[in-house]
Amino acid sequence: MKKTFLKLFTVAVAAVMTATSFVGCGSGEGFAKDKYNIGVSGPLSGGAAVYGEAVKNGAELAIKEINAKLGDGETKYAFEMKDDEATTKNIATNFSSLYEKGMQVSLGCVTTGSCLEYKTYAKEKNVFCITPSATGDQVPENADNMYQMCFTDSNQGSASVEWMKRDNNVPTSTKIGVFYCNNDAYSKGIRDNFIAAAKTAGYTITEASFANNADGSAPTDFSAQVRTLEKCEFIFMPIYYTPASTFMKAAQNIVADTAKFFGCDGFDGIDTAIAGFDINTIKQEVSMLSHFNSSATTGKAADFIKAYKDEYGKTPIQFGAAAYDCVYVIYQAIEKAKADGKSVPADISASDLCNILKEVFKSASFSFDGVTGTGIKWNADGTVDKQADKFVIKAQG
Amino acid sequence: MNGFIRYFSAVKARFKLKNYLTYFIFLAFILIFAPLGLTGSLKMSTEFMLEQIGYSIVAAISLSLVVGFLGELSLGHAGFMSIGAMVGALLQNKLYPSLSASSPFLALVIAMIVGGLAAAVFGFIIGLPALRLKGDYLAIVTLAFCQIVQTIFEQLPFFGGTLGIANAARYSSHKLFIVIFVVALISLVAINNFIKSKHGRAVMAIRDNEIAARAMGVNVSFNKIFVFVFSSFIAGIAGVLMAASKNTVAANAFTYNYSIDILVMVVLGGMGNINGSIVAATLITVLNISLNNVFTGSMAAIKNIVYALVLILIVIYTNAPGLKSFREKHGFGVYWSKFTAKIVKLFSKKELKQDPAKEKEFGADWSKVPTKVEMDAILSTDLTPDKSYVSDKPAPDGKTDGSGKGDK
Amino acid sequence: MLDFLTTLINGLSLGGVYAMIALGYTMVYGIAKMLNFAHGDIIMVGGFALLIVCNATGITSVSLIVAVVVCMAVGILTEILAYRPLRGASPLAVLITAIGVSYLLRSIAQLAFGTEAKYLEINMGTIAIGSFRLSVGTLVTLLSASLVMVLLTLFINKTRTGKAMLAVSEDKDAAQLMGINSNRIIMITFAIGSALAALAGFFIILKNPFSVNNTMGAMPGIMAFTAAVIGGIGSIPGAMLGGLALGIIETFSNSVPALNPYTVAIEFALLIVILIVKPTGLIGKKKREKV
Repeated sequence: MKKTFLKLFTVAVAAVMTATSFVGCGSGEGFAKDKYNIGVSGPLSGGAAVYGEAVKNGAELAIKEINAKLGDGETKYAFEMKDDEATTKNIATNFSSLYEKGMQVSLGCVTTGSCLEYKTYAKEKNVFCITPSATGDQVPENADNMYQMCFTDSNQGSASVEWMKRDNNVPTSTKIGVFYCNNDAYSKGIRDNFIAAAKTAGYTITEASFANNADGSAPTDFSAQVRTLEKCEFIFMPIYYTPASTFMKAAQNIVADTAKFFGCDGFDGIDTAIAGFDINTIKQEVSMLSHFNSSATTGKAADFIKAYKDEYGKTPIQFGAAAYDCVYVIYQAIEKAKADGKSVPADISASDLCNILKEVFKSASFSFDGVTGTGIKWNADGTVDKQADKFVIKAQG
Repeated sequence: MNGFIRYFSAVKARFKLKNYLTYFIFLAFILIFAPLGLTGSLKMSTEFMLEQIGYSIVAAISLSLVVGFLGELSLGHAGFMSIGAMVGALLQNKLYPSLSASSPFLALVIAMIVGGLAAAVFGFIIGLPALRLKGDYLAIVTLAFCQIVQTIFEQLPFFGGTLGIANAARYSSHKLFIVIFVVALISLVAINNFIKSKHGRAVMAIRDNEIAARAMGVNVSFNKIFVFVFSSFIAGIAGVLMAASKNTVAANAFTYNYSIDILVMVVLGGMGNINGSIVAATLITVLNISLNNVFTGSMAAIKNIVYALVLILIVIYTNAPGLKSFREKHGFGVYWSKFTAKIVKLFSKKELKQDPAKEKEFGADWSKVPTKVEMDAILSTDLTPDKSYVSDKPAPDGKTDGSGKGDK
Repeated sequence: MLDFLTTLINGLSLGGVYAMIALGYTMVYGIAKMLNFAHGDIIMVGGFALLIVCNATGITSVSLIVAVVVCMAVGILTEILAYRPLRGASPLAVLITAIGVSYLLRSIAQLAFGTEAKYLEINMGTIAIGSFRLSVGTLVTLLSASLVMVLLTLFINKTRTGKAMLAVSEDKDAAQLMGINSNRIIMITFAIGSALAALAGFFIILKNPFSVNNTMGAMPGIMAFTAAVIGGIGSIPGAMLGGLALGIIETFSNSVPALNPYTVAIEFALLIVILIVKPTGLIGKKKREKV
């Protein structure tokens, strides 16, 4: 009896180990010595998993395209993403295991909170990071290896106010409402900057907010907040598209039909990424200030959207687009370094590659045309310098 | 001098290796890993994993006091850790710059004491309703406490808001895990001594039967509150250690989900079993990290499925009444006790004698204080002899009936 | 006054949803005496069943019936596979398996249906009296919750099975001695609890058409536990009252912008106060303890 138990136990352990090692080989492209290895950490389970998954898909699509484009003798790219559930819990082990596996360049983290934890380790080891979606102002601070593909929170807040002032798009007499998430770094960061800029511009503001649940998902009921904002004519919502759609649905019969819902890049996807939802059922105007519009029909963005749809069967959101651009900009920077006569072997150390990439990103002649903008340049502090466009997702009526 | 000799010989006579075996294993663990860490020959990921194991152990044994020994369900232990972590991080940011050159870990030690005390204050506050509330009513209060603490930390700019506090203290990862393990060992010794003390026995008496304990003159209020204060003090220390191992300390790391993670460790380790909690904390941390390393990318959901299945199967294996006879023959505990017996034999000259406390009498193992569930089972045992029982004594007359106590 | 009334109605509307969740929760909680952390995830199963059948057939009533059946099946299955082997073990061991079941259901849903938000609108229209608006969904939620409460109370107190449930909840072993098959009774309890979870899923979707997601049950599960305890463990009217109280407190706190960030703290602080004043919940019975 004892022997059979021991045998059973050994067999079970062996089976689990074989299974896990098999899965380890099977997932994704996998890091390799003869490839440039790109690593990233983001939420792949829990309430924020949809954003992490978009980043994974966008980056993997870019890797696939680049590898197909590269010739036989050229160094290919590999990608790996680890789950952090949008918390700081696993960041240390995620970074270190990626680094030990051979990560040479990184996309940082998907969310701001995790990225702040991640960047210190990346800075210690001098790993170049360009994050697709960690918008926090603090992300590139005090770290010369940290770059952003997305706008910073302060940038988005003040850019929104600037757009409102320009050509008197939103007159100062308009009743402004702000609806934000009070325990999300992205939302609160934009809101703080928006309020500061809007107050100096002379707008009067009513505010309402909600708190995300412990797992990062949004609550279901906004009726009280809708009541607070019911008289507002222009409602600024620096939140992601899932809670925004809930709010609009609850508010559309209560606020005036001429009211306008206005968001930042988190809005992207409200018309395309919710299965079964038709944005035209909302009566009011919905628009956003963003670097990417998932219903674009022209330019690089349209090509990307088509490729993404073919690959994954769904429409991308801006997280995916930014990740796609991040991989392409790394590829372009490495190509440029090679063209400038630098040696970039496949097994280059992360630190050497970081120094090379930093130099490329700082050089005045480096600019990047991607799906989230054209002529993109980077400031010395790591923030991005590109044009945000106002997209009308749905006109009034 | 004579006194010392007498003291040591007395200690030697009373010394039983078995009672201290956990400490020695713990110490051996530190002694093996410390040189590896100090010489920098450990991988960075291993060091981070050891840090995580270390503070998880501290958190688990502190919760074990409340859940396993006091018998109250707490779903808010992350709240105490959160308070410790936040207060500790603020203090370290003040102290570390001036202390880092001379004694880098002094700031951590001070932060641990202050953070632990801050958590203990709240342990006292939560201990008060514990006097009035029982069971799940108290569990809700602890859950509520955790939610309130998280909300307030997230909203107050003083604690860094949603992004939390950036940690200015940069401890060398080669050394930090050693410090964490030493602290874990010290808390383990403190908790074990508390359990074996008069108060510890009183606490277990309260768990098993509060009214009976009160009748025996146990100060229930004092002991209950003391357990909460002591447990939250150590949880606060765990929070400070966790904060020290991170670059940012944010309140959203301490949600009720984290409380549940710690609770899982305690329950898997066995209720009222400190060593079990340590083993479970280690295994669960290692399992989580290795699953996260194996199931990357789109496999992330499978990671949670594996974890969930492991959880369900282990609990059913270790707790299912139907598997009791199987466990008694082949359970982990059986091998563990055989293993410890072998080690004790290896180091002791004397022949191993049967511990008198271990002698089985009336089919019960008196060395173990029965838990409430066991106690109920024992009390509900039907003691009237069945019909097949034939007494070998002659039928007693009225006066000599029973043990004699019943005569009064 | 109108403001107050509207906020109150909004609070009742949210409270009705919480009450509905809590009623399902308290069945299992009161009778099987286990903290069912997987209850929220049964709601999620119901949500997905509703979504799929509603998209396929377009008939709400059919999809609701299918969702109820699917949830009952999942509930009974988890009971047999995960909880029954632990009958008689420590309640905390059962709690841990429930957490495991919760993770399991959530991850399977993520694998099967992806992480994207899904939209399912069940429109019941609104009644407008002047500037005062009342959604029919709110009325239906409140009426169904009250109806379920009355039916459950009647079922438990008047029917044979219900009385057997009371007996099992009082003392499982004694009930067994009286000829009650406690395993069967607990299975029926789970079936009823899971059916109510499907209903709760329906009302959550009614409130927010964007809520179908693999984590949609996480917060409702915790809220149901809270409401059931606040009302008094094992008390069916208590669960209803607890749910309504939670909804009203939350909505009133949310309607003051300055308090918005602290809503969760206010809500739970009030709960602590309620429990300190009434240690066995709003309608809980005080149990005499025997030595």
